[in-house]
Amino acid sequence: MEGWGIIIIKIVFIWTWTLLIATLMTWIERRGAGLIQDRLGPNRAGPFGIFQPLADGIKLFTKEDIVPEKAHKILFALGPILFALPAFSAYAVVPFGDKIVLGGKEIILQVADVSVGFLYIVAIGSMSVYGIVLGGWGSNNKYSILGGLRSTAQLISYEVPWGLALLAAVLLYGTFSLRDMAFAQQGVFLGFLPNWGIFKQPLGFILFMVAAYAEANRVPFDLPEAESEIVAGYHTEYGSMRLGLYLFGEYVNIYTLSALIVTLYFGAWNLPYVDMSKFLGPVAYGLASFLVFFLKVAFFLWLFVWVRWTVPRFRYDQVMGLGWKSLIPLALINLFITALFVQFTA
Amino acid sequence: MARPVVKKEFSLSDRVYLIEIIKGLGLTWKHFLFNFRACFRPGPHTVPTCWQYPEDLREIAPIFRGAHMLLLDEKGREKCVGCGMCARACPAKCITVKRGKVQEGEEGKYAGKTYCAEFKIDMLRCIFCGFCEEACPKGAIVLGQEYELAEYTPEKCLYDKARLLANYEKAKSEGKLKPARKPVPVEAPPPKAAPKSKPKAAAKKVKEKEGTKQA
Ligand code: SF4
Ligand code: SF4
Repeated sequence: MEGWGIIIIKIVFIWTWTLLIATLMTWIERRGAGLIQDRLGPNRAGPFGIFQPLADGIKLFTKEDIVPEKAHKILFALGPILFALPAFSAYAVVPFGDKIVLGGKEIILQVADVSVGFLYIVAIGSMSVYGIVLGGWGSNNKYSILGGLRSTAQLISYEVPWGLALLAAVLLYGTFSLRDMAFAQQGVFLGFLPNWGIFKQPLGFILFMVAAYAEANRVPFDLPEAESEIVAGYHTEYGSMRLGLYLFGEYVNIYTLSALIVTLYFGAWNLPYVDMSKFLGPVAYGLASFLVFFLKVAFFLWLFVWVRWTVPRFRYDQVMGLGWKSLIPLALINLFITALFVQFTA
Repeated sequence: MARPVVKKEFSLSDRVYLIEIIKGLGLTWKHFLFNFRACFRPGPHTVPTCWQYPEDLREIAPIFRGAHMLLLDEKGREKCVGCGMCARACPAKCITVKRGKVQEGEEGKYAGKTYCAEFKIDMLRCIFCGFCEEACPKGAIVLGQEYELAEYTPEKCLYDKARLLANYEKAKSEGKLKPARKPVPVEAPPPKAAPKSKPKAAAKKVKEKEGTKQA
């Protein structure tokens, strides 16, 4: 057991780190969008426009905070908070590196290595829909409520394949702890492939990816905030920093989901074929594992942006059809095959 | 002719959709990479479709319709005679002209017998149609290439004669004067036997009749 001091340092670190990444993502998303669409994107504030999020933050903080007259004041205020809070707290059980040995003390790079980390993620993940629904309901606006309702239906539908894909992973690794799952992915598989989840669970990975995009309300599943149909969906009535919290929460969600994908299917901090701990010092190894993990996560963060500007939005019935008619049966098949595989190889 | 709707049968790979998404990702990646490289090239105008405005100005065609100017002739005399034709032609009614008689001893200053004592254009109302330029019998008023016309107060957008003459000096020094207009070729009026308004068939008949008569 680590001391309180170390835990608090870790919490503060991961909190600021997540905030930093989310802030940067707002900029990367817009520049990426620009470059993909043959534009430039925000490039004025600072070199390459890197200080644009700062300027946006100042703007959001100093804007007038408008609450609609007929809105439900408490729910309206609660919405963004309920959305952002689970997004931030979900990262607590996701590792961000292996471990650092400092002065004979071993510090694991994870806020809390909970033995049921997996369940915690699922529970917290489904909490964020409350923020959207309450915000949409409290705004007293038809577009907002439509956005909220869509988001509820979508999240309920996609929670199922998401959970089933995760369950197959749990069967495979034989543990609920995300850190142990990372350890289970060391070495090689079948003699030549890295022992990563994606090679053992290719279908599970695809299902998890698709469901993760739906969970994060990202294109092609951004129906709750479909701009061309329902103005801005659940955050139509929001402005100033309340809107900021919604937008921010979305990026924090993306970060957590990317970290989860990397932990489950891409070998967490393990490099293929190379065991870093063999030839790196304890501190260097800790930093290297953090870096490797982050680079993998960065790829998935970029993939979220990249997919957003490639794939058009689905129609509502298509989203539901995909969820119930394709993903859930596939997830069940995947679970079944994994169970057989585990049963006969054990 | 209406074309029948052909329903395309989707193959399995189309319906799985993931392959198509990956193809699409490849396409967007190409665009991204091209523009990303372009961002690092030196020079103001690197991304082909983007003009980064203050540093990177677009090339303006010589016949662009921007801010007005009052021209001087080759002897340095004001061409404008203050006839007010431009003010009449202006659809936005934004030109005010007052005519003045050229006094003795002032002939070196003005080209005509009269001149404009006052010439004002309200640029807030101007629609840059260029009618004033077309209407002017002396070719004295011309729309230039200047298009950065924003001001802090509305009064500054009321261009007076001094400003319009200054515009000319500026354009002259920058070599941005409008090239002389090509004379518009005037077609000979059509013969009265076959008026244009008649339908073609009728015109044909007339021609045929004429043909038979001649024969
Ligand atoms: S450009 Fe058109 S609107 Fe402007 S001053 Fe000339 S005639 Fe009037
Ligand atoms: S600019 Fe031309 S049309 Fe207008 S008053 Fe002068 S001479 Fe007449």
